[in-house]
Formats: sequence, structure tokens, C-alpha cells
Amino acid sequence: MPIGRLVRAGLVGGIGVIFVSLVGLMARISEINLIGTQVTGAYAFLALVPFAAAYISVRPRVVAGRLEELTAGRSVSFGAVTGLAAGGLVAASLLFTSWYGVERIREVFIEVTQELIDVLSFGQSAIVGASILVLGGLLLGAAGGGFRTLAPEARKVLATAISATLLMGLLQRIIPIAMLQLGLDPDWMYDPISSGLTWVGAAVTFFVALGAAWLWARRGRAARETLRTMTREQPGTRVVVGLVMIAILATIPWLVGSVISEVLGAVMVFMLLGLGLNIVVGYAGLLDLGYVAFFGFGAYATALLTGATLNTTTGSAAPALSLHLNFYVALPIVVLLAAGVGLLIGAPVLRLRGDYLAIVTLGLGEIVSILIGSNWLKPLVGGPQGMRNITDASIAGFSFRDPQHFYYLSLAFVLLAAFVSLRLSGSRIGRAWNAMREDEQVADAMGISTTRYKLLAFAIGGAVGSLGGALLAVRIGSLTPASFVILVSITALAVVILGGMGSIPGVIVGALVLIGLPGLLREFEEYRLLIYGAALISIMILRPQGLIPNVRRSRELHEEDRSQDKWAGDLAADEDTAASLSPLGEGSG
Amino acid sequence: MPVVRMSAFERFPWRRVILVSLSIFIGIFVVYGSWKTLTLPEGERYSGAAWLDFVILGIAQGAILALIALGYTLVYGILRMINFAHGEIFMVGAFASYFFADAYLKSGYLNRHPVSALGILFLTAITTSVAVALLLERVAYRPLRNSPRLVPLITAIGASLFLQSAVRGFFGTATRGYPKPDVLTGTWTIFGIEIARIEVLVFVVSVAAMIVLQLFVSRTKTGKSMRAVAEDSEIASLMGIDVDRVVVTTFAIGGALAGIAGVLFALSFEQVNFYMGFRPGIAAFTAAVLGGIGSIGGAALGGFALGLLQSVGPALLLTGIGVPSPFQLKDVVTFAVLVLVLIFRPGGLLGSGGAEKV
Repeated sequence: MPIGRLVRAGLVGGIGVIFVSLVGLMARISEINLIGTQVTGAYAFLALVPFAAAYISVRPRVVAGRLEELTAGRSVSFGAVTGLAAGGLVAASLLFTSWYGVERIREVFIEVTQELIDVLSFGQSAIVGASILVLGGLLLGAAGGGFRTLAPEARKVLATAISATLLMGLLQRIIPIAMLQLGLDPDWMYDPISSGLTWVGAAVTFFVALGAAWLWARRGRAARETLRTMTREQPGTRVVVGLVMIAILATIPWLVGSVISEVLGAVMVFMLLGLGLNIVVGYAGLLDLGYVAFFGFGAYATALLTGATLNTTTGSAAPALSLHLNFYVALPIVVLLAAGVGLLIGAPVLRLRGDYLAIVTLGLGEIVSILIGSNWLKPLVGGPQGMRNITDASIAGFSFRDPQHFYYLSLAFVLLAAFVSLRLSGSRIGRAWNAMREDEQVADAMGISTTRYKLLAFAIGGAVGSLGGALLAVRIGSLTPASFVILVSITALAVVILGGMGSIPGVIVGALVLIGLPGLLREFEEYRLLIYGAALISIMILRPQGLIPNVRRSRELHEEDRSQDKWAGDLAADEDTAASLSPLGEGSG
Repeated sequence: MPVVRMSAFERFPWRRVILVSLSIFIGIFVVYGSWKTLTLPEGERYSGAAWLDFVILGIAQGAILALIALGYTLVYGILRMINFAHGEIFMVGAFASYFFADAYLKSGYLNRHPVSALGILFLTAITTSVAVALLLERVAYRPLRNSPRLVPLITAIGASLFLQSAVRGFFGTATRGYPKPDVLTGTWTIFGIEIARIEVLVFVVSVAAMIVLQLFVSRTKTGKSMRAVAEDSEIASLMGIDVDRVVVTTFAIGGALAGIAGVLFALSFEQVNFYMGFRPGIAAFTAAVLGGIGSIGGAALGGFALGLLQSVGPALLLTGIGVPSPFQLKDVVTFAVLVLVLIFRPGGLLGSGGAEKV
């Protein structure tokens, strides 16, 4: 029995739990009721850790060049050891804390509270809680090991059903509202008091998802094939599919209500930023860490061109420069100017490659955000206090200030940017970018003017980024420098990386997960940077092609993984992705 | 300015136009700004003593920057990667030592035995920073050692974000006052110049650390293998050098220097917070690039040069042309230097100016 390896896997899981507890996330997710009042986010996480650690620790390994799978009995017992180690470590720290004194630890780690101890000890005394942790770790670890022995198809179906149930629990602030809007009664599914799923709702979700996943596993391929031939052979179906999509997109704000629409607005702004950055990073392969410069430029240029007032300590004042153009007249000007700024920034730094380019753009971005907030530019952009009363982007009296209306404006922008990206990727320009990204020297030798195409990427990326800024400016009609910090660049980068570099659906999913989920579950709000950081690291290590990879791009990234051991490792890793795709896996990072 | 040969110029001549006009503009700006500042009417003008203060402060800040910059430069020399999270390693060290400093202040130990107390603070910071640096290397960088160069940079950004928010989660967002032993308050008069005691400490400790590092790299066997790996890691491994061990040693040394810098920084500003690593980190990276990344002497030189630029630059260039609160724009100077060095002399002050390296 490779006891060292098993225990190590368990300890890593245990350290993960302790880490999540110490940063305060555990106490926060214990306030989310997923199912009834019994299954909280914290308990789901506590259960998931030994299970997943055991599942991973008993994965098939390469022994003497061959993939070796464990027998069922060994899988279960090995998994139990891993789970025991995970539970044991958490239990030991719990006992240590209650012996040493919560208050004394709290002098250093401010999140260690009695509340946290209550969560970890299941509301019992420390000894009982520790025993539950150990025993639970043992059983869940055995279950995780046992899960590995199921047929891959069964595993996938089960994992999908469990993730779907947890996801429905997490979406407790959307689904009930949508159900009410549709005239359905949500009370049987969501408990109005605990706001989580009821046990009936959970069971229904679980079995429906189980059935759907099972059907999909059996018939999915055929169904997809039929749909594809249908859309190819009968142009009419394509139109119908398109219309249905548009209808669904159009009803979303009505369906989810005002609060969620506001979250959606923020998501769409970052979708736009992600799409723009995707052109620079994903298509052209230039890592731009100063993308916030375009965002800020777009926002402030829009504000100045359409008219706004400065926030001052005495009230408000007119900025040093202010035109009163219509938003839709100003927008093309802003976009063109931003493209020009992209050219100006791009031209001197083009010769730099890779990481140096990244740092220079970071520097330029920081210069822009410091200048925006400085006293020097105060007469123009309001300094630290920013601007407000930015002219509304209304069309014929239809104001976009309301979150539910703003959605349509941002949807139009996102669709436009997605369309441009889509058309670009297959065009001559897109192919030139592709060649340049893969090997600049070769591309140069093939007669592609890399300088020109790099500039083009900067200009187009900048233009799309400024669209995002313009959108932000008219969203609530006020701007402060706090919205234009380096974290915007990094968030946009995380959106692109998580979704998959060069992949448009990837950007959309990336923005929904990274901006939407923390916006939806305010419990995560404080920890979103922690989650972004963890996501950037783990994506790069485990799945560099992103969640929804661009086909060509993923081939490229895996070019170096051709050795046999790597290949076998990938086989095992691919099976893990089903589990890691669940949103809980993302959130608990 | 070095002559840069680049075929792209023929196809894109206005790149040169932009560069030349940019340098002319900057030249005029520097001359005009300093002239205006130095000819301000009596009373508004900075006195000679004020300038001297700026210079001394700049040297002290530069020493700290140089210590952090050495971490960037060592790692870059060995792995050709920018360890973006190095600023966070610096912050973690400072934060860890804070808890001891605070406890020692309360027990009175800090003022009774300042030397041994400071020694323990340095040790704590070094241990923590080294531990975090090694963990980072093991978890985030080693699995990606052979990936395209942008991949480890992206993980490094992720690691930076992660460490920052983890510290924020552990210890909260509040800025905490870092106690300073009474011995270090006040000034000493050296060569007739009054210098704050803390600045003397910063300077002495940093220079000592740099000398030790230089001796280590040039005299010891480990140092020799570090140089060999920096030269060519593949050949070095064929020669029987354990590259993994050298990488680990490099990260450890970088972490130790960052830990020392963390305590010095915390002592001079008398505060720590979770965000304190970011700007100094970038500034130190700039210093490393300014001196010529990959070179130890370059990092030291770049650190002092950037420290001076940061403290003298805003006052000298911006006061005269009527920019309010010029020190707000201190980091603009940093980033402008970074951008300009990379554009005009990517090899740095001590480097060969080779464009292909970048």
C-alpha cells in the first residue's frame, strides 16, 4: 500500500479545508443553504474534499509504461486512508484550536471565530465534532475510492446529477424569481425560509438531471448529429434556432428581475472586455496587462464627449473640456480614438516579446490609472472623486439607466463584439495572427508583416475595450478611479484564460462564472480575487486550453505533451474534468 | 542610444518617427521641468537641505528596492521568467514579522534588547518569505517549467493575486502600525549630515546583504552552479548539476532577500498591510530591468538609481510646471522609466542592449 502518497493526498485536502477556514470563506459559505437547512455550502465543501482527494489519489497510474488500475477493494480501502488523513488533519486542528483557545488564535487569524468552530464541529462539542470529521472523512474517502471503480459512463452521469443539484441550490436567487415570473409556484422546490432547495426539489432535480445525463450519454451523439445535419440541410431550421435564441436572450431581464439584471450588466461589461482582450491575447498572442487603459479611456472619453459634471467637495463643477454630443454620435469617435491610442501604445512596444511586453503594458495601464485619480488631471476628469451626471444613452426617450433596460444595450454591444471577433478569427487577418502567435519568425518569413498585424491587434482590442468603458460610463452615469485599477486588467485576463484563449464561447462562460457567480452569491464577493488567483494557477496547470477550448489553440498547447507518461496522465486527467467543471469546484478553489 | 537593427523599420518607418519624437519630447520635458523648478521664486523653492533629504531618502528607498530587485534578477537569470509574485513574498515576510514585533513591543522586549529583537524579526521574515517562495515554486512554477514563456507569467500573476487575498483573508484589510524600537527614532550625524537612524540601518543592512550575496554567488560551489545554470541549464544538467536544487536555492535566496527588505520597509514606513507588496514589487522589477535583468550588480545599481529617481524626480520635474501634489505621481515616474528603458535600451544600463534577448 503506497501509504505515503495516499496520506499526502489526504493532507493536501485537509490543508485546503484549513486554508478555506482561515481566510473566512468557510464561515461565509456555511450561510448558504443548498438543500433544506441541513446541507449548507460549508458541509457540501467539507464532504467534497475527502471524496475528491480519495478519488484523485486512487487514479490509475503509469507503472512501467502501462496504465495500471486498482482493484475495487484496493480502491475503496486506499480511498478510505486518504479520506481519513484529510478528516484527521482537520479534526486535529479543531481540537488544537479548542484546547489553545479561539480568542488567542484570533489575535492573529481574525477569521477564527466561535462561529467557525461551530461549523467545523457540526454544532457539537469539539471532541464529538472531531470524531464526526474523522469518521466522515473515512467514509467519504471510501466512497470516493469506490466511485473510481464505477464505469466511466456511470461516473459521468452521477457526477452531472450531483453537480446539477448543487448548482440549482447555488442559483437560489435566480430560479425562484424566474419561476414566479413564469407563473409557477416555486415553494415546493425552494424553501422560502432557508431559501435553499427543499428536499423534494433536490430529489426532483437530482433524478431529472440523472435521467437527462443518462439519455445524453446514450443518445447525445446521435442527437447532436441530427441537429447538425438539420441545420446544414434545411436553412429554415437555422433561422428558427436563431429566433429562439434571440427570444430567450430578450426575455432574460424580465425573467430574472432587476437585481440579477444588474449583476448581468456587470457581467456583460466584462464580457466585452474579455472579447476585446481575447483578440489581443487569444488571437494575436500578445499578453496585454494594461488593458484597463482602454477601458478607462473609453469611459472617460465618453463622459467628456457626451457631457458630465465633476464631483468636488463643494458639489459639482463643469470639467475643463466638455462636449454635449449624443451618445451614439460620440461612440464611434471614442472607438476610433481608442484604436488610435492602441496604435500609439503599440508602436513603441512592439519590438518587445512575450513577458516584457506584458510588463510594459502593465506599466502603461498603471500610468493611466494613476493619472485618472491624480490631482493634476482633476480639472478634466475629477481626480479621486470622479464624475457624475453623464448623459444618458437613451433612444427616443427609452432610458438605459434601469438595469433591465441596460441589459439590452450591453447585449447589443456584446453581440457586436462577438460578431466582429468571430468574423476576424477566420479571416485573413485572423489567420495571420494565428501564424504570428505560433511562431513569429516563421510568420515573418512567410511574408506576414508582424508589426502591422500586432498593431492591428492592439487597435482592434483597444477599440473593443473602449466600448466596454463607454458602456460602464452610461450604466449608472458616474465614474470613479476605483473602477479603473489593475485588477480590471487581471480580471479580464482571468475571464479569457478561464474560458480558453481564443474562444468566444469561452469568454462568455468565463465572464458568467467569474463575474456572475460572485455577483450572485454575495458571500463570495470578498473572495473573488482569491478565487481568480486560484483559478489562474489551476487552469494553467491543469487545463491550459481553458474550459471551452478553441480547437486550434488547444492542439497547440498540447504539442509538448507527447511523451508516453504525459499521455497516460492526460487520460486520467480527462476523466477528472467532469467533476472539476461543477461550479462548486470553481467556487471552493 | 544604441543602433538597433530591425528589418521591420523598413516596412514601418514611422515607428522610428514616434520613438525619436518621444525622446525629444521627454528631453524637452525634463530640461524644462527642472529649469522651472530650480528657478521658482524664493520661498516656493526647495532649499538645499530639502534636496539633500530627497537624495538620502532616495538612497534608503533604493537600497530596499535593490534587495527586492535581486530576487527578480536571480530568478530571471536562472529560469528566464518574471516572478510576478515576488512583491507578495516581500509583503508576507513583513507581515509575519509584524506579529512578533507587536508582541515584543507589548512585552517591552523590543526596547530592552533592540538588537536581538530586530534579529528575531529579520529571522521570522526570512523564514516566512523563503517558505512561501519555495511553496510557490513547487506548486505554481515547477509543473510549468517547460511551457511557453507566457504560461508561468500568468500563473505568477495568479499567485500574486492569491497570496495578496489570502493574507487579506487571514489578517484583515486594516493597515497595522509596525512598531519601531526607540533606538531607531531620531537622527545620527554622519559627516556633518543629519540622517534618520532608520535610513542608516536600511542602508547598512541592505549593502551587507548584497555583499554576502555577491560573495556567495562568486565564491561558493552552489554559487558556481547557479552561474552555470544561468548560462545554460541543459548543459549544466549534463555536467552533473542538479538544476532543480539550483532553482530551489535561487528561490530561497530571493525569498530571504525579500524578507529582509520586508522588515526594512515596514520599519521605515512603520506600517504593514496586505497591499504593500504590489507597487514596491513592480518598482523593484523596474529597477532590475533598469540595471539589466539577470545581472546582480545591475539590480543593485538599478535599485539605487530608481530610488533616487522616485524621490527626486517628481519634485524636480513636476513642481516647476505647477503640477499639484507631485509625489502622487511617484509611480508614474517608475512606470515611465520602465517603459522607456524597455523601449530604448531593453538590455538595461549594464546590459548589452541586445534586442533579441527580450
